[in-house]
Amino acid sequence: MFKILKQVQDYAQESWQAAKYIGQGLSVTFDHMQRRPITVQYPYEKLVPSERYRGRIHYEFDKCIACEVCVRVCPINLPVVDWEFDKKAKKKKLNHYSIDFGVCIFCGNCVEYCPTNCLSMTEEYELASYDRHELNYDNVALGRLPYKVTQDPMVTPLKEFAYLPQGEVEPHGLPSGAQRAGKRPEEILEEIEAAKPKEEVAS
Amino acid sequence: MNSGIDLQGSFIQTLKDFGLSTGLAKAIWVPLPMLLMIIGATVGVLVVVWLERKISAAAQQRIGPEYAGPLGVLQPVADGIKLVFKEDVIPAKADPWLFTMGPVLVVVPVFLSYLIVPFGQNLLVTDLNVGIFIWISLSSIAPIGLLMAGYASNNKYSLLGGLRAAAQSISYEIPLALSVLAIVMMSNSLSTIDIVEQQSGFGILGWNIWRQPVGFIIFWIAALAECERLPFDLPEAEEELVAGYQTEYSGMKFALFYLGSYVNLVLSALVFAILYLGGWEFFIPLDRLADWIGVAETTPWLQVVTASLGIIMTLIKAYFLVFIAILLRWTVPRVRIDQLLDLGWKFLLPVSLANLLITAALKLSFPVAFGG
Amino acid sequence: MNLAEGVQIVSFGILAAMMIGTALGVVLLPNIVHSAFLLAGVFVSISGLYILLNADFVAAAQILVYVGAVNVLILFAIMLVNKQENFAKLPGRLIRKVSTAVVCFGLFALLGTMVLVTPWSLDTTSPAVINTVVSLGEHFFSDYLLPFELASVLLLMAMVGAIILARRDLIPESVARQETVTTSLTLPERPRELATLSGNEQQD
Repeated sequence: MFKILKQVQDYAQESWQAAKYIGQGLSVTFDHMQRRPITVQYPYEKLVPSERYRGRIHYEFDKCIACEVCVRVCPINLPVVDWEFDKKAKKKKLNHYSIDFGVCIFCGNCVEYCPTNCLSMTEEYELASYDRHELNYDNVALGRLPYKVTQDPMVTPLKEFAYLPQGEVEPHGLPSGAQRAGKRPEEILEEIEAAKPKEEVAS
Repeated sequence: MNSGIDLQGSFIQTLKDFGLSTGLAKAIWVPLPMLLMIIGATVGVLVVVWLERKISAAAQQRIGPEYAGPLGVLQPVADGIKLVFKEDVIPAKADPWLFTMGPVLVVVPVFLSYLIVPFGQNLLVTDLNVGIFIWISLSSIAPIGLLMAGYASNNKYSLLGGLRAAAQSISYEIPLALSVLAIVMMSNSLSTIDIVEQQSGFGILGWNIWRQPVGFIIFWIAALAECERLPFDLPEAEEELVAGYQTEYSGMKFALFYLGSYVNLVLSALVFAILYLGGWEFFIPLDRLADWIGVAETTPWLQVVTASLGIIMTLIKAYFLVFIAILLRWTVPRVRIDQLLDLGWKFLLPVSLANLLITAALKLSFPVAFGG
Repeated sequence: MNLAEGVQIVSFGILAAMMIGTALGVVLLPNIVHSAFLLAGVFVSISGLYILLNADFVAAAQILVYVGAVNVLILFAIMLVNKQENFAKLPGRLIRKVSTAVVCFGLFALLGTMVLVTPWSLDTTSPAVINTVVSLGEHFFSDYLLPFELASVLLLMAMVGAIILARRDLIPESVARQETVTTSLTLPERPRELATLSGNEQQD
């Protein structure tokens, strides 16, 4: 008899708890309703990619020495370096260079290790195409510079959250000269430069 | 209670004054409320689709539809037009007759159920004796349509979805009917008008929600399951069943399913408002207020005001419930099929039976408060 | 009430034609699923006839019970039991057919004589709309009490039987221990009934 009563009590308690948790969940959802939408109306508005953004790789054919370091550091040996040995000049002669961005994982190792800095990251991320073979960029395609978001007349550039002034959460309608919170790299450099002579004088 | 406005009587009288016979005048009147109700239900669906998209967006910190009309209100219209002009594909090995009949059988009963939804004392299509029972029995036709659609698509996902939908709707119909039965027991009538009138007189305090605190929760859970709304949408669970019985449908037939599900949602919200939230009643008893101000009940402008307020109140209550349903959609994760059936048979059924018995006991012991 | 009578006659005609057509379809169609769906049509048209007879509660109950429960159950049975079977030649097919015909004809004759013999008290005046639910309840608890109670006992029995069938732990062990065909593709799993049985034992 008491066992049944206890079962009923446990059952009621469990149902009450379930109802309480659903109520808590509902209050969370309700709270989200009054938060600011974080939507970026994409084709019309675009976020300015952050510093150190790892987008499509840019490549300068003339700087390349065909050393194949990029191939060696690549996790999947992706870059294709087509060179031949020019016996007259006793140098490597680079014919073609290509990276397939359908396979690339944008880890940035090749950029990191390139001895002549001929590889670099751009802020381009719109690589969609109708054919996956179009993603295989040759040295001409790799040499193109991407269109900047800030210079596109069709697009309203928006700053990312980390680049907004202090206390600001709304990227729309910022004044033109608005700068992000904290010091900019140039300012830090200037401070270091300003601090240097003092040290020299002191020593 | 005042009898409100008698639209039918005055309309027929007007036509008779033009010199038409009584029969002809009635024949002209008969299709009008039905047509109005169908149009109203469809427009209500457009509103609900827009609300669903906007509220879902707000709950996820998005904006939602914005470019089609002001605040994107024309988005559901655009969706509808798109679906109308889409190619109507019937799969090669499908059963064409059953494939076509399925969506029709799902949609028609839902629209028929609008017969009994009152927006005021005389503002409904018919005041049937069996009122709310018609809604329950008509909603039991829908599983046939779902099974038909699932079978005729000749697709495993469709068949599974159809079977799941039918199992779900027949198992949740029982707690739904039992919780409605408790209300019917208190108001001594199946007619929706009587159910609302029984709650009138004390404003918000007289609504059944205070007398049926368990019943309304059971009803709402079961109604959500009947509509296949998100915590219970496993007939069309996209992660496991692609789209359930809708998988093979496109164009206008898919639009019928889509329309049917939203019409059903609005209908459930309306029925909930009628059963538990006092239907067209205002938060405070209006007739007492009118007495207090000193306006007679039969004053024409007062009647017009109360009638329009009644329609607005019914819609506000219904759309509030739709809002709750949409919030629930983004709060509660989908249940598994065994959890769904456990919830239906092992939790809702005994609880609703106990609720019915307790209501009967309370009705016998406190006939004043629980309708003698 | 010219209009109402016309509407009644036309709807009666439509409903009767629909009922006979769908009933014939149930019997004659080769696809059993089509027959099952047409059965729903028969039930719906019967409920339409009930509405014409001012029996609104019975009509709604007809839809709820027959279309919503019985027919869905039949469809479930058909769709879940997808057994392909070749019809073998039955011995004594002629006798079976003849006996079936005799039984059917007998039933038809019985019903026909019943229709002819019963003194139908036709009421030409259309009755005022009464609360059918109340009068049904009165009949159930006065002159039809015994059939009503018997029917409820019958349903209770069916329900208890269904529960016992659904509770696998009440079925003796020998039924559950079936031979499972092991091919190279089957996983090393216990049959489902045994798994649930041992699970129950562990819980207790």
